[in-house]
Amino acid sequence: MQIKIHNLSKVYSENRGLLQVDLEVEKGELIAVIGHNGAGKSTLLNILASWLHPDSGQVLVDGINLRNRLSVVRKIGFVPETPNLFDFFSVEYNLQLFARLFQVPFNRIEEILKEVDLLPFRNNKIRVLSKGLKQRVSIARALLADPSVLLFDEPTSGIDFEMTKEIYRLLKGYHALGKTIIFTSHRPEEIKTLATRIIVLHQGYLVFDGSPLKYFQSAIHEKLYL
Amino acid sequence: MIIRNILILTLNDLAISFKNKTIYLILFIPFFVFFSLELVDSKNTEIKNINIGLIQKEIYAPDILQAITTGAGVFTVYHVASEDEGRKWLKEKKIDGLLLKSEKDQNSLVLVVLKKEALITLSIVESFAALQKAVEGNSINWISDIKPLQEEGIQKQTLPTWILMLVLLVSFIIMPAQVAEEKEKKLLLALLQTPMREIEWLIAKLLLGMILILVAVLSLHLMGRFNFENAISYAAFMAVGSFCFSSYGIFLGFLCRNQASARTLGVIFYLPHLLPSALSDFSQKLTAIAPFLPSYLFYEPVKSILLDDGRITNLFWEWTYLLLVGLLTFFFAHLLMKKRWLM
Repeated sequence: MQIKIHNLSKVYSENRGLLQVDLEVEKGELIAVIGHNGAGKSTLLNILASWLHPDSGQVLVDGINLRNRLSVVRKIGFVPETPNLFDFFSVEYNLQLFARLFQVPFNRIEEILKEVDLLPFRNNKIRVLSKGLKQRVSIARALLADPSVLLFDEPTSGIDFEMTKEIYRLLKGYHALGKTIIFTSHRPEEIKTLATRIIVLHQGYLVFDGSPLKYFQSAIHEKLYL
Repeated sequence: MIIRNILILTLNDLAISFKNKTIYLILFIPFFVFFSLELVDSKNTEIKNINIGLIQKEIYAPDILQAITTGAGVFTVYHVASEDEGRKWLKEKKIDGLLLKSEKDQNSLVLVVLKKEALITLSIVESFAALQKAVEGNSINWISDIKPLQEEGIQKQTLPTWILMLVLLVSFIIMPAQVAEEKEKKLLLALLQTPMREIEWLIAKLLLGMILILVAVLSLHLMGRFNFENAISYAAFMAVGSFCFSSYGIFLGFLCRNQASARTLGVIFYLPHLLPSALSDFSQKLTAIAPFLPSYLFYEPVKSILLDDGRITNLFWEWTYLLLVGLLTFFFAHLLMKKRWLM
């Protein structure tokens, strides 16, 4: 068991968030977390990425409590929906900064730039890049410490078809390498193409957990998308 | 249609200014300036009791001495052992003025004050003139000369005020906005996904604030060619002051969700810290309020070091206070960061 979530809750003032979620994730799974806006998808990922502290419950990653941030931070890479990069600096500068903080050698940057096909853009300032390219820089940064768990919040939101295909290629590639991937999505075709397991959140509660086949035959899918 | 759209957009802009709290700033600035001016233009300044120092062994003209000591409650007379002690009392603000016998004329006096251009100096001179008129009618002025302790030019005398402005500008305007920007753009959260500790980020920000303050103050000294004698005391006090205010600014940044709020909050803190301290020389009421502010406990020692040969060893209370404020705000900033407050 790589990730164990027990009785996890995070309630916002407007009655949104996550309520008593229990979940277990095996190593190498590719999980799609779906649900309406405000269902708690991003909250779940934000908690796993240590962006948010839960109100109650606990998360264990490889047996280590998430509250022990410094011990689990190298195990989890997070790609948020809106890339949060230092806009005034170049792609390379951004990666170098985080490589220094992760204490990984600079030749790792070369490898990653090649992997995510960003070598031609290495000297470009972040602010001049398209959203798709920024998203790839964000992915590159998340991969710097070679984490075993990758979290993607709406990875293809607001990006064009070509870039979306590129992101799918990267997700499949990292899944093939044995990494555990959890992503949130609104797109049925994305879920169908990529996921090995689907989790549905509704008003903060986990209402479905199963294979894509079971999900697409279920009433929940019809309720959500049809 | 055009007018309608303009109105819609204007209302939208106003709604945004409410949302990002700019409107509070617009209301706060005139209110605060008015309030400060009310204190400066206090109507009863002339009836304030004046503490005047006389040298014990000095032989003053008997009629002047009698008039001062029985001066209808205007003067409280303090006897000092020597001129040096009198000057020391003046610097410590135990007395408002020191009277010496004039060397040119036995029947007139030399008034030693802290600053020639201060309200209190004017008040002393006016009180003497009124007293003299009551005793003698019109005759030659008892005070034949006024000597300020601070002999430097007006530029150097205003230097502490400019330094205070720079320090507060960096601390309350630049630092909170910088912290809020990193929160707003989720850059801080990105950094927290590395093995970096919260305290490391805070110390880095603190150093940034201190460096910015140091560069600003040094530039001012270099451009104005202002030298300073007590370099060690000055540097040590600037280090403590910049620590205190940078930490304060970082803490304010943590109270805001975005840059616009941080700027508003910064100005709200900037003016009440700047005006009472910088205007304390002109208002007795502000002098009474100002000592509660960390800015005053920074401004007065800087003034003392730059203009009155003050030393950090004599300013124990001031630097301890600033250090405590800095440590306290640093602690709260760390607490808010740990809680991912408004991130």
